[in-house]
This record gives sequence, C-alpha cells and structure tokens, in this order.
Amino acid sequence: MEQHNRFWRIALLSLPLAVFGLFVVWPLFSSFYYSFTNWNGFDPDYSFVGFDNFAKIATDRLFLQAAINTTIWMVAAIVLPTALGLMLALLLDSRVTGARVFKSIFYLPICLSAVIVGQIWTWIYQPDWGLLNTIIAQVSGEKFKYAWLAKPDSALWSVIVAWSWQQTGLSMVIYLAGLTAIPGDLLEVCEIEGASPWQRFRRVVLPLLAPSTVVVIALSVINSLKGFDILYIMTGGGPFNSSDTLAMHMYNESFKKYLMGYGSAISVVLFLIALAIIGLYFRQLRKVDRIYG
Amino acid sequence: MADTLPATRFNPWSATIFTVLCVLAVLFLLPTVGVLLSSIKTTREISMGELWSLPASLYLGNFAEVLGSPAVHQYFLNTLLVTVPATAVSITLGALAGYVFAKLPFRGSNALFLVIVAGMFFPPQVILVPLFRLFNGMGLIDTLWPVIIVHSALGIPICVLMMRNFFATVPNALREAAIMEGASEWQVLTRVVLPLSLPALAVLATLQFTWIWNDFLWPLIFTQSDDKRTIMIGIVNLKGQYSVAWGVQGALSLAASLPTLLVFLFFQRFFIKGMTMGAVKG
Amino acid sequence: MAQLQLSDLRKSFGTVQVIKGLNLDIADGEFVVFVGPSGCGKSTTLRMIAGLEDATAGVIALDGRDVTRTRPADRSIAMVFQSYALFPHMTVADNIGFGLQLRKEDRATITKRVAEVAETLQLTPLLARYPRELSGGQRQRVAIGRAIIRNPKVFLFDEPLSNLDAALRVQMRLEIARLHQRLGATMVYVTHDQVEAMTLADRIVVFNDGRIEQVGTPMDLYEHPANRFVAGFIGAPAMNFLPVRVTGGRLEVPGTEPTPVPPGKEAATELGVRPEHLAVLASSTADLVGEVELIERLGAETYAYVRVPGLPSDLTIRLPGETEIRPRSSIGLKIDWTRAKWFDASGKVL
Repeated sequence: MEQHNRFWRIALLSLPLAVFGLFVVWPLFSSFYYSFTNWNGFDPDYSFVGFDNFAKIATDRLFLQAAINTTIWMVAAIVLPTALGLMLALLLDSRVTGARVFKSIFYLPICLSAVIVGQIWTWIYQPDWGLLNTIIAQVSGEKFKYAWLAKPDSALWSVIVAWSWQQTGLSMVIYLAGLTAIPGDLLEVCEIEGASPWQRFRRVVLPLLAPSTVVVIALSVINSLKGFDILYIMTGGGPFNSSDTLAMHMYNESFKKYLMGYGSAISVVLFLIALAIIGLYFRQLRKVDRIYG
Repeated sequence: MADTLPATRFNPWSATIFTVLCVLAVLFLLPTVGVLLSSIKTTREISMGELWSLPASLYLGNFAEVLGSPAVHQYFLNTLLVTVPATAVSITLGALAGYVFAKLPFRGSNALFLVIVAGMFFPPQVILVPLFRLFNGMGLIDTLWPVIIVHSALGIPICVLMMRNFFATVPNALREAAIMEGASEWQVLTRVVLPLSLPALAVLATLQFTWIWNDFLWPLIFTQSDDKRTIMIGIVNLKGQYSVAWGVQGALSLAASLPTLLVFLFFQRFFIKGMTMGAVKG
Repeated sequence: MAQLQLSDLRKSFGTVQVIKGLNLDIADGEFVVFVGPSGCGKSTTLRMIAGLEDATAGVIALDGRDVTRTRPADRSIAMVFQSYALFPHMTVADNIGFGLQLRKEDRATITKRVAEVAETLQLTPLLARYPRELSGGQRQRVAIGRAIIRNPKVFLFDEPLSNLDAALRVQMRLEIARLHQRLGATMVYVTHDQVEAMTLADRIVVFNDGRIEQVGTPMDLYEHPANRFVAGFIGAPAMNFLPVRVTGGRLEVPGTEPTPVPPGKEAATELGVRPEHLAVLASSTADLVGEVELIERLGAETYAYVRVPGLPSDLTIRLPGETEIRPRSSIGLKIDWTRAKWFDASGKVL
C-alpha cells in the first residue's frame, strides 16, 4: 500500500510541481539574481553591480512616494471593503425583503474587470460631465469642474473609492456565508441571557465570524498587493506620481525605462514586504485555527 | 426580535434596513448604469453632458461599430484562446496536487502545501522580469503562449487550496472502498472524488475564468502587436486611439463583461455553496 | 471459501508499536469477531487483512498463499465499512456493480449479477435510487450487496452496525447472521459491542493493547475467561471485582467473615463474581451485607447497585424484573462460589 501510495504521489505531483517550480518559484529566485545586475531587458550582456540597485532605492524619492502610497492603498483597500462588506452582510442577514436582489446588485462589480471598473469610474470623476461633479453642481447650484483624478490631492483616494466599490461584494458574500454558519442556538442563548443587539454582535457574532474575517483579509491582501490594473487605467500613477504604488513603480522602471535590474531590486523589496505580511497572517491564522479547527 | 413579530404589523426596524439597502443599492448600481447609458448614446450626446439623463432614443451605432470591427473579433478570439486552456490547465494541475495533499499526505506534505498556497499572496510583479527574459529567450514574446502558461502556473496556488480543501471533505472510506473494489488511485480520482467535487470545480472554473478573462497585466507585458492583444488591452487601446469615443468604449466594455457575467450566472447556484465549503470551512 | 492465517503480525506507526505480534488461524466458513476497547488494534488488524494498511512484519496467508504484499483488490476480500462508504453520485445498482465495472465485465453480465444480488437482499425496488434516498438499514444492505457480488473468499466488517439505531441494529444483526448461514463464507467482524460479538460469533477474539488476550467460543469466554481483562470485558453488566487477601490459610474479603482458602487459590488477590451470580438473602446467612444505592429497571430484569462497607466500588447485582428491593434498603448477598473466578496479582485466572 505504502509503495503504491508513493508511486501515485510522484505521478500526480510531478506535473503541477514542475509547472509551479519553473514558472513561479524559479523566476522568484531569479529576481534576486537580476536585482544585482544592470540588465536592460534586451541586451544579452549585463554586468553585476553589487548592491548598487538597493543603494539607489534608498535615495529614490519616487520609491519613497510609492512606498507611502502603497501603505495607504493597502490599509484603505483592506479596511474599507471589509467593513462595508460586513455591514451589508449584517443588513442582508436580517431577512429583509428582496435580499437576493440586493445581494446580486452588491456582488455584480466583482465580475467586472479592473479595466472596466477603472473606465466606469474615470467617467464618474470626469470633470465636465462626470456623475460626481454633476451631482455636486445640482446640489450646490453652482458650476463644479473639479478634476478628481488629475489633482495630486485626490487621485489616490478617488481610485481607492472605485476599488472599494468593486471589492465590497466579495467580503459581503463571505461574511454572509459565515453568518449562516453561526448556530441558531447560540443566538437564542443570547436572547435568554438578555444580551442587547450590540452586545450580541460584539461578544458573540463578531468573534464567531473570525474564520470569515481570515478569508476576507487574505483575499483583500492578495488583491490589493496586486493593485496595479486599476491604477494603471485610472491614473497611470499620476499626477506627479501622487498615486504611484510599488507595483506601478516597478513596472515603470522595468518596462518603460528598461532598467530591469533596478526593477528587480524593487520587486525584491516588494517580495520581502509580502513575506512579512504572510508571516504575520499565518501567525494570526494559527490562533484562529486553535478555536475553529 | 424583529422576525418574531407578526408579518402584518408595521416594523420600523426592518423598514429602516430596507430603505438603507435601497439607497446603497442605487449607489452601487449607478456606475454600471453609466456604462449602459453610454453604450446607447452618441459620443456627441455624452460630451454635451447628457450621459446621466435617460436616453431619448435608443442609439445602437456603438454596438454596431464594436461588433462589426474585425479587430474586436480578434480581441475576443485571443481572450478565449487564453482563458479556456489556462482555466482548464490550472484546475487540472490543482486537482492533481490537491488530491495528493488531501488523500495521500506524506511527511512534509503540509509544508509543501503551505509553500504553494503562499504563492497566492505574492504580487505577480515580483516575477515579471525573469519571466520576460525566459519567454524572450524561448522566442515566445508577442504570442499568446506566455499568457496561457503564466496563468496556468499562477492559478495553481488557489486551485490547489480549493481542491485540497474540498477533497478533504470526501470521506477517506470512499477512497478505501473503491480501492477494495479494485480501483487504481487514478480511478479513485476520476470516478469517485472528482464527480463528487463538481461544486468546487464550478467555483474554481468561475474564479479562474473571470480572473484570466479580466486580466490586464500579462497580455500587456507579453504581447505587442494588435492582433495578439486580448480584449482588456483592446479597450485601453481604443481609449488611446480616439480619446473621446466614450459611447464605443461603453459598448465594448459591456460586450467584454458579458462572458464573465454569463459564467457567473451559470455557476451561481454552486458559487456561494462552494465558497463556504472551500473557504470558511477550509 | 477460505481459511485465513495471521502469523506474528506486527504494525508500527513510526516508533509506536500498535500491533505487537498476532497469531491467529481462522477456519474456512468461520465467523470470527474481533472485540476490544477502542485503540486496542482490532480495526488496524482488520485493515491489514484488507490490505489498506501495510504490515510492518509477519505474514497474512489466505488459503496458504502469502498475501501480505498483495494489492487489496487482488486478495479476494470484500469489506463493509462503518460509514457504509457508498458512492453518493452512483445509484444503488452502480454502487453494487462498481467492482465489476472496474473489472471491465460486459454490461449484460453486470446487470444480471446486480439483479441477482439485489433480489437476495430485497433491494430490487431501490436499484435506481441514490444513497441519500435510502434509510440507514437500506444503505447497509447496499454495502453488503457491493461486498457479496464479487464472491469474495473473505468478508470483512468494520463496526458495520454502529451508525444504526438500537432497533435496527438488532434487525441487521440477524440479517448478517442469516447471510453467513446462507453463504457459509469466512467472515471477520470488528465491533466494540460485546452483545454483537456474543450473538454473531463462532469464535471471539478479545484484543487489548495490540495483543490477543483470548480466543474462544462466546460461552467459553463467558464461562472460562483466561484473565481479568477478558472476564471484565465479556458479560453485561460487567463482572464485579472484590479485592481479597490470603493470610495464613485464611481468605479475607472485606465485609465478610474470614473463611478457609479453597485449594489451589492461595495466590488469589482478587475475586470476580458476575452480577447474575450474586443472590439476595436474609442478612443472617449472607456472605456480604450492604445498602442498595440505585435501582435500574429494564423491564425483564432489574440491576441493583449495592454499597458494601470496605469494598472500593459498588457491587452490581442482577434481579428479576419484578422486585421488592428499594433504594436505601439493606440487603444480604450470597456469592455463588462455584461460578466465582479467582485472579492472581498478574490478572491470570487460578
């Protein structure tokens, strides 16, 4: 039996592992290699430059800007959709009329691509006939022509709103599933013990939603670390790099300026940040696992 | 509690919830309605600030232009040529590895599983440069191959995670019973475990199809000529070509979203169920 | 039909030895039941016979042929699982015929064989149903059908009745007994329920801690247990154990007058008396006097739990259904000395 199992393990695992190793793991380690070179993307010749690329990162003003933006982007892009999704899930869980229709409406944006979401919201923020300015003009009674995406003050946050609009449905669905999984008798106990709705939410429902929160946060982290498409479409990192993220910055240095060595160095930093977040996340996960198995 | 009251009596609490939800639903729908409206208006109407009013007449010129364009046909064809094989391959590879992790664990298999799943968390930009060099060396730049291959490989973590978690819910006794009846491991997988995993396969198919269809980054990096571009790049290119062809852009966006919406509707029945099983219970 | 032979069978998981050397001969057509507490190795042994677990050492022989390294499917063995292990996406007919399908038998043969098996198990009207649409007993019969269709040499049952409710369990127990009578096949049956063991078995194998404690017919084990473990495990309610001390040719049982030691029992440290071998008497002629703690009425019979001063635990006694005895009353108990068992310090019966 064990011999038979060993054969099938190898037979079934070799193909997935080969593909994963060749096109994911190996490139990952190659990134480290290229980060010590000055490869420009097309020349076969390149030379080692030691830690020059990393030294450059330390003095790169745009990198600093991108790092700050990435932090803002990630925190907001995790907190906003998660909180909003939880709120929607709680509202929908109270067996309100038309819950199914509402669910579909809130979920719909998830099916759209970042390109299309970016385009929709570019129109909403359009200064001349965009929805946002039209509404503000209607309400205030004056002409309003603010260019949301073209002003450094508002560009990043405007994209964050669009992103949250798209992502909220996902956390809502996961929280709804989590809410249905809470045993009814636990809520009945709350009623018998005389808990207020707030106490019931804070002390019972929210802790029991921890497994859902784990999934929601994981998906948000994954999606927001990848946050590239929508920024590329809506602002291209501008204006004046005010909405540049590390992923954006890396793309620009590698594929616009053809500084692939430097781009690799940025991606190594990005990798280390991701690694730190994953480490933190798995530690939290173990805690949740102890309770919920 | 709200739901213990007789249904006929007016309940201010649920009425409030309903109102709040209605307001939110309108806010959520508005952007999508915008695209819908743009697609049936002329570019002139839109630039005059008439986008957000109800249309006086139904203008189908945008759709005619989009659907009649050979370039758009090519975009759709390319996207299909990437999405369908990459979805199938990533799910197949995920099922193979997921089966081993769920049913044939070995010393160190959990660690290996975690390493693969961790791959899901990394921003793809990290492997952009080496992959570009790899495919450049193979002479595959500006073909669809790198896009297919990369999507197949990057789909492995999520597919392995979901398949393993789902396979774990299939009782071990079923595998053992099949083996007692003379089934090989391959027959256990194809005749017992996979048929029982249709909901998980449906969820994965939806996720992967949507994700690959909608992707923008990889075709942007690996393709250059217009006849190799996918639909999402096509939309962005269109934006560059005529900067104010909003109506046409709206029509194309709508057409480009249709396949993923259809896939979602088709698999919706399994989707939430599978999501719960694969994710929350995982 | 086949005889099955286990020789010095061992199994280790890592450094932990769970089966510590088994020797057992099972005759052709015999119904053998493995019993023992959970974790005693009875299921592991069954799974080794099936081929689902590798033996670490030793030999499993079927009709004299060494099958220790043979694939499960090539051993001519069928197994009925605790959870039935029916394939939820197959109909009853497909579940029963699955093994034949895998052997690429032609469709007509499969249909015919499935029909025959279904007929003998009264499953014919259910052939098109899915397992979800069946009751527990019906599922059990499908699982049995899947086992018998291949005419295996040996049937293995892994606690097949433990998922059924009490009434159904009795009914299925009878059906399995009838099946054995009809097929005359060799059967190995694992259970932790000693009633199942007593009623079904030709021979019972009592497992404890990876070893066989005793092998024998049900009445043999009841009347002549080899040791304290078997004596305590077989029989319900369980045997009462009284600590005894032998000093200078006199036997001291707490709560009784010292008596002369019966010959051959000088090494005794413990006395075992079954609940049915304690009679209620007037206090004056009794061996033991105690107070009734609790009464459990089962209808046909009644159990009383009696506290005797000086004994570490209550004595269980078996009484007729109708009894005058009330809780908190004082009663005298007479030991049936001819049926009592004597154990030495190592637990062996004297």
